[in-house]
Amino acid sequence: MKHVRLLVLTDDLPRASLALAETQCFHPDRREPESERFATLPGRTFHEIHTQARARLDKIARLIPFEPATSLEPARVIDQAELARLNDWLGRLWDETSSYEEDFRQLDDERHLIHEQQAALENFSHLNIDLGMLRAKTRFLNIHVGLVPRENLRQLEGAVALAGYILHVYLERGDNTHVVIVGPADAKDAGLASVLAAAGFQAIPIPEGLDREPTELQRDFERRLAAIAEERAQLTETLQRWSERYHEPLREAQRTLQLADPLVSLDESLRSCGHLTHLAGWVPAHTVAALRERLDAALAGTYDLSIRDPLPEERPLVPTVPVKSRLLAPFALLVNQYGIPSYGEVDPTPLFALTFLIMFGSMFGDVGQGAVIALAAWTLRDRFGRFWPFGLMAGGSSVLFGFLYGSLFGYEHVLPALWMNPLSDPLLMLRLALIWGVFFIVVACLLAIYNRWAVGQWREALFGHHGVVNLVFYLALIAGGAGLADGTGFGTVPALLVAGSLAALAWHSWLHQQAPVGEKILVVVIETLETLIGYVSNTLSFLRVAAFSLNHVALSIAVFTLADMMGTFGHLVTVVLGNVFVLVLEGGIVMIQVMRLQYYEGFSRYFSGDGHAFRPIRFGRGPA
Amino acid sequence: MSQVADQAYLNTRVSVMAARLFAPSLVERLAHLPLSALVEEFGLAALLDDQAVPAARRRAVEQSLFQLLLSELLVLTRPMNANERALMLDWGRKYALYNLKTLIRGKLHDLDRREINDNLFELPAHIRLADKELFGAENVLELLRQLEAGPQRQIARQAREVYEQQREPFALEATIDQRYFIGLVRRVQVFDEPHRQWLRRLISAELDRIGLLWMLRFRFTYGLSPSETYYWLVPSMRLLTRERLLHLVDLDGFEQVLEALPEPLRTRCADCRSIAEIQPRLARHSLDEIRLVLARSPSAVARALAYLMLREADLLRLFAVIQGRLLGFDDRIIQHALAQIEPGVPGN
Repeated sequence: MKHVRLLVLTDDLPRASLALAETQCFHPDRREPESERFATLPGRTFHEIHTQARARLDKIARLIPFEPATSLEPARVIDQAELARLNDWLGRLWDETSSYEEDFRQLDDERHLIHEQQAALENFSHLNIDLGMLRAKTRFLNIHVGLVPRENLRQLEGAVALAGYILHVYLERGDNTHVVIVGPADAKDAGLASVLAAAGFQAIPIPEGLDREPTELQRDFERRLAAIAEERAQLTETLQRWSERYHEPLREAQRTLQLADPLVSLDESLRSCGHLTHLAGWVPAHTVAALRERLDAALAGTYDLSIRDPLPEERPLVPTVPVKSRLLAPFALLVNQYGIPSYGEVDPTPLFALTFLIMFGSMFGDVGQGAVIALAAWTLRDRFGRFWPFGLMAGGSSVLFGFLYGSLFGYEHVLPALWMNPLSDPLLMLRLALIWGVFFIVVACLLAIYNRWAVGQWREALFGHHGVVNLVFYLALIAGGAGLADGTGFGTVPALLVAGSLAALAWHSWLHQQAPVGEKILVVVIETLETLIGYVSNTLSFLRVAAFSLNHVALSIAVFTLADMMGTFGHLVTVVLGNVFVLVLEGGIVMIQVMRLQYYEGFSRYFSGDGHAFRPIRFGRGPA
Repeated sequence: MSQVADQAYLNTRVSVMAARLFAPSLVERLAHLPLSALVEEFGLAALLDDQAVPAARRRAVEQSLFQLLLSELLVLTRPMNANERALMLDWGRKYALYNLKTLIRGKLHDLDRREINDNLFELPAHIRLADKELFGAENVLELLRQLEAGPQRQIARQAREVYEQQREPFALEATIDQRYFIGLVRRVQVFDEPHRQWLRRLISAELDRIGLLWMLRFRFTYGLSPSETYYWLVPSMRLLTRERLLHLVDLDGFEQVLEALPEPLRTRCADCRSIAEIQPRLARHSLDEIRLVLARSPSAVARALAYLMLREADLLRLFAVIQGRLLGFDDRIIQHALAQIEPGVPGN
């Protein structure tokens, strides 16, 4: 990765941003330039206009759906004047479009009110008053019938009481309460109307002819609802007819905004002084020549480009180019859940993918169940998005190990095992799991050492967690442990190496502590003990790889024991349900266990994950 | 016993943080400290040195003090359960509502986007509104409709309906405030004893202060009717309860209302002639109540909230003094401003 600094004429900024976006290799560096003369923000107004125009276009698109532009070719420079004109046009169009939106809302409100009226009418029968009076204005009484939001009721009750009115609740429905408010016409409070408005009171018009048949009234309501539905359909049609002529201009507007995106993305990195603008960023080393070529073509040499390697103190700022491989992409997603590799750090994705598949397959080896996982991932690939190759590969690995174990939907004797059934030699499985664990931890430690060495942290590579001294200690411990298992004893050389490496770690810890002697002793003892116990327990952690492969077979045996107790049909049902159970439950648990081994035993040793992804500016990405 | 154990961490945290509250002696000499002393004592040098323009310096200090307050809020919420955290975050959400009001005023007065932006608080993700989307709204109604689609649905719906019917900015802001405080009261109701008792005391201290001020303003400054005044008020759970408010709003004179106030509000406001005189006394009453909760409450969440209220008042004081110094005001004016500081009212 190279750090580039570009000086261009402020007027050339749109052209420069277009060129940078076309190369798709420029990740902006948002730090302020060293020179304090570059103080003004030349892209700010452009950014603001763009944001407003984008918001307007999005709102319009909700009502006027149009096919998005298929291509941005030919790319052209969008200057501020053009963007401002587009923004104004979108503003005027939104004014017109929003009136349709308002009409739709009014229709919805009317429909809602009719529903409330229907409900209210059913309940008027519970009111022991002359319903005709509710509509008629009387000389002595003011009557308000309507609904208020339920949460305002109590407050409204007190307020109307102060005005000399009484409030009667006759129906509670959803968030609303239906009320009748009655008071003397000469009540002392003339401001009741504003209270009712404040409380969101909505009057319910009392239909004419309350003495008519209820079914007739209901028919009335239905007719009005049908009329509203028709009006809505007409409005939709009118909107559609009216909006057809705008489809192409809107597509063009969207295209314009996408072409303006690069300059908007650069906004925070731009600083200018007079007619000169400074911007800086990170570019992959192999794209520098292409970038220079593109800038030459766009700016005809009126620019200054300086390129240098990242400084050691800039390392945390340098972005990391993400994995491009389609097969590795889903694994990269899982790695990114933990963190993004720092610049210079080994990207663990390929190693993660390989070890993940090996562990998953060995813990869940079954030809049939693996095929189901793979098939499900393939069938549902649209729903899984970029994640489906992950399911396909995990299923494939399970199938592969299923052939090795000779396991098909839990049947252990249908397929001949290419290797052996795990349950036929559990001790071998456990031994292999331990060897795998040692291999995994050693690789993790080697990566940790390399990662530190690569960024110049020599001391950390030697004495830090999982550094060289730790690795020597671990290998000696394993050699001694193997000797003990073989009955030849721990051995002098391993013992000396273990003691020596622990002493070195303790001494290093002692030197780096600033505390009273007693506390230092305590910390050194605990840290040393933790190192010893940590490596032993971490290695034993890998026994779960064998345990789950055994568990898988054991679960299958349990399913078949149950199935054998049934008749033919019951056998079939139990086997099918048992397989579903194993697939869902054990499949999930195995997945979690593998992730746990990867994150805890692997990443926590060698992967800092505190980098950030390379995100070059490009068209259509939107504001930064 | 288990309750004591559950709250031990939070209680300890609050006690440790309470040591940051300004001592009475500091509050007294705050108005007399020169800018250099303030900068040194509160570590604001870097903040003020970076900003050339006085307005930018003032803004930087304001944002930094509120960031400090809100970061302390988030620290306190970490060991809390869901209800406790929700209450604390709701309290912090008032800043989101200040932002909402700023946006509304900006839209009403057709202010420049940058001008509006300069007056917004930068808030953490937990409590902020979708400011960027709301900015895209062309007018107040559109803004409220957008807000209706989010977690502030209740507040936004009521505010929109009120605004649609009345086109009255006052009603709009009053609805937002009223809904906010009603929401806060509801949050307290879900707690068990003794939390509820102390939280009610705490929130009531705020509601009593705000309720009395609103009542006097609405009735005698804005000339609203008793029923409309009552509608906008939020009854407290201690002094200015529903029944008492019903009685008070129906009185016809300023003095009559003060006469009819419950103790200790009556004694506190006895010889006041104007709302301006009442305001600092109510603020003192409210702060005394909050201090009492912090000192005596067995409820850790009530203490945590009380701490935040007091801390907020302290930071507002500090900001008021810095602002006064940056604007070149003398000690007397700054002292007067300090007396007006109420918890929950930034930029007072």
